[in-house]
Amino acid sequence: MKEFMMIFVGADYADLGLSPEELQNRMGKWFAWGNKMEKAGILRGGNALNPNMRRIVGENRTVTDLTSAEVKEIVGGYYLVEAKDFDAVQEIAQDFPDYDLGGTVEIREITVFDQ
Amino acid sequence: MESKLIDHLFRHHSGKMVSVLTRIFGLAHLEVIEDAIQDTFIKASLTWRHRRPDNPEAWLTQAAKNRVLDIFRKLKTERKHLPIIKHGMDIIAINELFLDSEIEDAQLRMIFTACHPNLDPRDRISFALKTVSGFSIKEISSALLTKEETIKKRLTRARKAIQRSQLKFNIPQGKTLPERLESVMEVLYLIFNEGFHSNKKEKLVRKELCGEAMRLCKMLLKNQHTRTPASYALFALMCFHSARLDAKTNAENEILDLKTQNRSLWHLPLIKLGNTMMNKAVEQAEFSCYHFEAAIAAEHLRASDFEHTNWGNILHWYQCLNTLQPMPTHLLTMAVVCMQNKDYQKAKSYLDQLKPQDFAQRVYLYYGAKADYYSAMDNLQGAIKNIDFALDTVINVLEKDYLQKKKSALLSNKQE
Repeated sequence: MKEFMMIFVGADYADLGLSPEELQNRMGKWFAWGNKMEKAGILRGGNALNPNMRRIVGENRTVTDLTSAEVKEIVGGYYLVEAKDFDAVQEIAQDFPDYDLGGTVEIREITVFDQ
Repeated sequence: MESKLIDHLFRHHSGKMVSVLTRIFGLAHLEVIEDAIQDTFIKASLTWRHRRPDNPEAWLTQAAKNRVLDIFRKLKTERKHLPIIKHGMDIIAINELFLDSEIEDAQLRMIFTACHPNLDPRDRISFALKTVSGFSIKEISSALLTKEETIKKRLTRARKAIQRSQLKFNIPQGKTLPERLESVMEVLYLIFNEGFHSNKKEKLVRKELCGEAMRLCKMLLKNQHTRTPASYALFALMCFHSARLDAKTNAENEILDLKTQNRSLWHLPLIKLGNTMMNKAVEQAEFSCYHFEAAIAAEHLRASDFEHTNWGNILHWYQCLNTLQPMPTHLLTMAVVCMQNKDYQKAKSYLDQLKPQDFAQRVYLYYGAKADYYSAMDNLQGAIKNIDFALDTVINVLEKDYLQKKKSALLSNKQE
């Protein structure tokens, strides 16, 4: 088994003007997805990220504070899952709730060094 | 991890928290408050993805409490006038405002604000759905079948009217209460009817509006000052109508009239609740329009099938209603009721009192009734002429279908 990270890009709730009802419905879908992965015993962790960010760039270590509105494709959160291969994770990612809001899932494999 | 929250928890909680914070900061800061509350829901929806709090409602309330200081800071930097907390409201006092009974009180204040006579009648419904019920502009526009742009304008206009007349955020007392309460009940009645008579395809939207109107009406019944025979009767009326909501359309979403509705689909618990409320409504001999409308609805529910409807009783209640509140639509309905009772002479006497221009965009109902009358008199030509008038003026697709079917039936009768 390998470990993968599903990174969620875009679909920033704060910018989409979702109503309380819609937010609750969205959350219900996230619950269902999380439960499904937990039941399958493949969930290794995950977090949601605040939209505020501080960016440090270049040798001068230039610092900028940014909000989600200023960043095109903001990372909103991630899940760590255990799976056989990319295809298996792709299957898991079918249930990501926010495709309809323009959200994207990026799947990356966690690097493991065999000594 | 349990996967389901209470239905509409966020929406309802939004209405509660906006009301409580408005009580603390005043109506002048409504927009800041709404944004702040919206923000707590976004945060909740993100953090709860991974970790559900044990008590979601308490979590949301705490989050709203925490926002109080944020808002205070924000308003302070904007140097806005802070009506209540300028002398520093202590934490205990603020905590008290978040008690259940005080939340209900704040919500009632918001309902009275939304239904204030200084607001344009059309703006009241939108404003109530936004602030008291936690609907978004998109949701209001979809529920009321109105453009989002229009709803936005209504909300802005309502806010301006509130600022302009410097409305107090309170529950009216003394002499002004009955009049203000009447305005509240009228808005709730309209919200309910928007749901009950909506042409909206999705049944869910209709149910939500009806449910919301009932929830708000229940709040009136909880408070001793707003618990009146009329508010009981209004709630009874809503129960009786809601009981039929599922039977009102078939699987193809076609409107079914009382004759064709499957009466076994009527929801018994709501009928029972309606009866209980009705009994309370008549404890004092002080009758409102809602009393008579509820009596009519109850009379329909009482009949085991359409043929057993007691049209005599129904006509009586309509006469009472029309005496209290004379309206062309009541007369029209009375004519229809008389036809059900085969009293065509009386039906004609009611129809003769009416003119097409009494009905504006609902004139097709008038022509439809006249068509029925002519059809009963075996005057097929007259019947078809009126059905055609009705078809020319009807807008709603479902009702157009219904009339079209009626016409086909008439035409096939003619051939026989």
